[in-house]
Amino acid sequence: MSSLKPKEIDFNEQWSIVLGTVRSVISMGRFGQTDRAIWQERFFDIYYLCVATPDSHAERLYEETKKFLEDHCKSMKKDIAESDQNMLSIYVKYWTEYKTGSDWLNTLYAYLNTHYVKKRQANDMDTNYQPFECNNDTIDPPLVEIGEMALDCWTKIIIEPLKDRLVKLLLEQIHLDRICECVNQTTIKGVIMSFVDVCQHRKLNILELYEKSFESPLLQATGEYYREEGNRCLAKLDCIQYMRKILLLIDDEEFRSRKFLNPTSYSKVYNECLQRLVCDHFDTFKSECNELIIKEDLDALRNMYKLLKPTHIGINYMVEKLQDNIARIGHEKVQSLKGENLSTLFVETLLELHTKYMNVIKETYANDPEFVSSLDKACATIVNMKYGNRLSAKAPELLAHYCDSLLRKSSKAATDSEIEEKLLSSITIFKYLDDKDYFQRFYQKMLARRLINQQSISIDAEEFMVTKLKQICGYEFTGKLARMFQDIKVSDDLNIKFLEYVRSELSSSSSSQNQTMTNLLGLDFNIYVLQQNSWPVAQTITNTFILPHLLEKPLHMFEAFYGKKYSGRKLCWMYNLSNAEIRMTHLDRSYFVTMGTYQMAVLLQFNDHQQLTLTEIEEAIKINIKELEKQVLSLIDAKFLIGNTSELTMNSVISINFDYKSKRTKFKIPLISQKEANHDSESSQKAIEEDRKFYLQAVIVRIMKARKVLKHNSLIEEVITQSKQRFLPSIHIIKKCIEILIDKQYLERRTNDEYSYIA
Amino acid sequence: MRIRLKEFNGVAVWKWVTNDDSCGICRMPFDASCSECRYPGDQCPVLHGECRHCFHEHCIMKWINSQQTNKLCPMCRGEWKSLP
Repeated sequence: MSSLKPKEIDFNEQWSIVLGTVRSVISMGRFGQTDRAIWQERFFDIYYLCVATPDSHAERLYEETKKFLEDHCKSMKKDIAESDQNMLSIYVKYWTEYKTGSDWLNTLYAYLNTHYVKKRQANDMDTNYQPFECNNDTIDPPLVEIGEMALDCWTKIIIEPLKDRLVKLLLEQIHLDRICECVNQTTIKGVIMSFVDVCQHRKLNILELYEKSFESPLLQATGEYYREEGNRCLAKLDCIQYMRKILLLIDDEEFRSRKFLNPTSYSKVYNECLQRLVCDHFDTFKSECNELIIKEDLDALRNMYKLLKPTHIGINYMVEKLQDNIARIGHEKVQSLKGENLSTLFVETLLELHTKYMNVIKETYANDPEFVSSLDKACATIVNMKYGNRLSAKAPELLAHYCDSLLRKSSKAATDSEIEEKLLSSITIFKYLDDKDYFQRFYQKMLARRLINQQSISIDAEEFMVTKLKQICGYEFTGKLARMFQDIKVSDDLNIKFLEYVRSELSSSSSSQNQTMTNLLGLDFNIYVLQQNSWPVAQTITNTFILPHLLEKPLHMFEAFYGKKYSGRKLCWMYNLSNAEIRMTHLDRSYFVTMGTYQMAVLLQFNDHQQLTLTEIEEAIKINIKELEKQVLSLIDAKFLIGNTSELTMNSVISINFDYKSKRTKFKIPLISQKEANHDSESSQKAIEEDRKFYLQAVIVRIMKARKVLKHNSLIEEVITQSKQRFLPSIHIIKKCIEILIDKQYLERRTNDEYSYIA
Repeated sequence: MRIRLKEFNGVAVWKWVTNDDSCGICRMPFDASCSECRYPGDQCPVLHGECRHCFHEHCIMKWINSQQTNKLCPMCRGEWKSLP
């Protein structure tokens, strides 16, 4: 190897040698082979030219090489331009060769690239940086590496003048592919990708040439093709068939994109197809949509969803229609419900509807959240619909009844897991309730009845449900319910302790330690002691009730026992909630009947008398006359007693029925009649309204305490946000509560629409 | 006896024994809790003093603890002594 020392070199002589190799490299051997030794030699020749003394030939070498490449491109251009039929394949042939050649050439000129081009570029950056005078035509084109220069020549000399013809041919080929003619995929892709590859050295706008020269005409042609194709299909197909057809077309076109195009174009072509095939015909879709939903043509709907989802129009229309439809079906079903088991029917109908549409949304709409929320909205309107003139929806009460029927001991045996599953699904409905406080009220009432009458199926199931409610509405919502369970547990314990107390009080000898309550007190005796505020019990009015003789002793003993255990407390007996079991021996056989305390007290009067007037009974037991009438009527309804008049008056004579017969010997009679129960739900509605006012006042005070001053509208908004978990307050009731608080001097009006908190 | 009572399942609610309706400190009824408590009942008991005045335990303790020298009943200004 010769020395690397710079030497004097005759440029023309040396260049003619280098040129031969350059020509063979750029044409990939079309003009003579280049072996390894020659390659090495030329590499050094270029080095010597660059470092020649006294002056470097680098600049000339650069210019000459450029001139050669331009000439080379011109000759290829001539070939390409003159080949008529085969233009694309000739282009690709030359391009493939030239592209690889230029890469090699770039390597051959490595020294020039690093020591001449790079340095000059760096200098230009330093000295000629003129931010306000860029793109001046008089300035020479900037120096670029040889490989890049080669590609620029190709762009300038071949692509620019020929691109219109090339693109036209490309579009023709693609059109042929669309109508299933055979085309040369490699050639087409090669030509198309040359528009991208030729700019690969650029730092900015790499895709500019591709996008401007090819992609935008392609999109236009695609659009026109599918506009026609869409119209043609729609002329002979109905909407369902059309959707099926265009899904195939769009799939094909996606595949075609991957065959021919640069990846950046895939989505653009896809959108263009959708625009022409779907968006342009949206009215057709729209007019079909509702019918498909009603007919439940899920396949067609799935197609429509697939087509509309990616467009800018989107699925709002479908979502809306589905919601309307679910709501309509729901209302129809709910309104047609009748029969005894209304609560079960109601809940099960809703759940069925919910499950059905959850599945539809899963299978047809890919679990799209927009559809899920449309189902939620539809269910909420069904559940919260106020039918007729009612002020509140019926759902909270029905749902509470449903839960009650699940949790109450009944003949229908169900496993624990079945019950829990059903309770869990009732939570689904619960979530849709606006008036969750109504539900709570009814639920609490029924829970109280289950607990006191020992009708609860299991404490585990009860607590399961309360936990679920707590998860949704928070501690405050279920606090009372939890405390009810606690009272029951405490009372169970109390009863055991009380039995021990009675034994120690009444039997002197230790032998009677196993005596039962009945042995000791003459009857079985159980007590629940409740915390007043946790239970739905009304305040008792002054109680004049005269206890049946037999009860006096046990009750007084219990009071004494309780007073010893808890000082500072007194007990108030809730006779209306207590119940008693009696045995009737005056009939064909013995009957054991469970009934309310007052009913029992009335009935016991007939131990000593065959018949009594209402007045006489009233004197004997001293309860409110209205209450007494109800009790007597319920016993007449049960056929234990017979009245001599259809309407009860103070002088009505009531006598005991000796002909009473029943198939069952152990049963229970209702405490109040059905009419009473209806009245009950009305009165609890009033109570709920009162509760709401208290709740809202507390919310308002809490907000105002934190914010000090607040505008009317912001306050209303905040109140609604905070109470939404429980119920949706009306603006009217919030205003009323604000007025109350102003009267109570918690708040004051500052200006017309602003309130401030008074500490 | 034609009709015999076999079994009685009684229900009672308990209240604090008080000689007033509401607590003189927080003005809340004794049936309700003091202003600090969420629920009335066990957690918010009533305390009686030897002077026969009674308050929510939480209320009177707060009051007594805030007094520097003499622990006086806020109603009668006599010395406060809690009954057990």
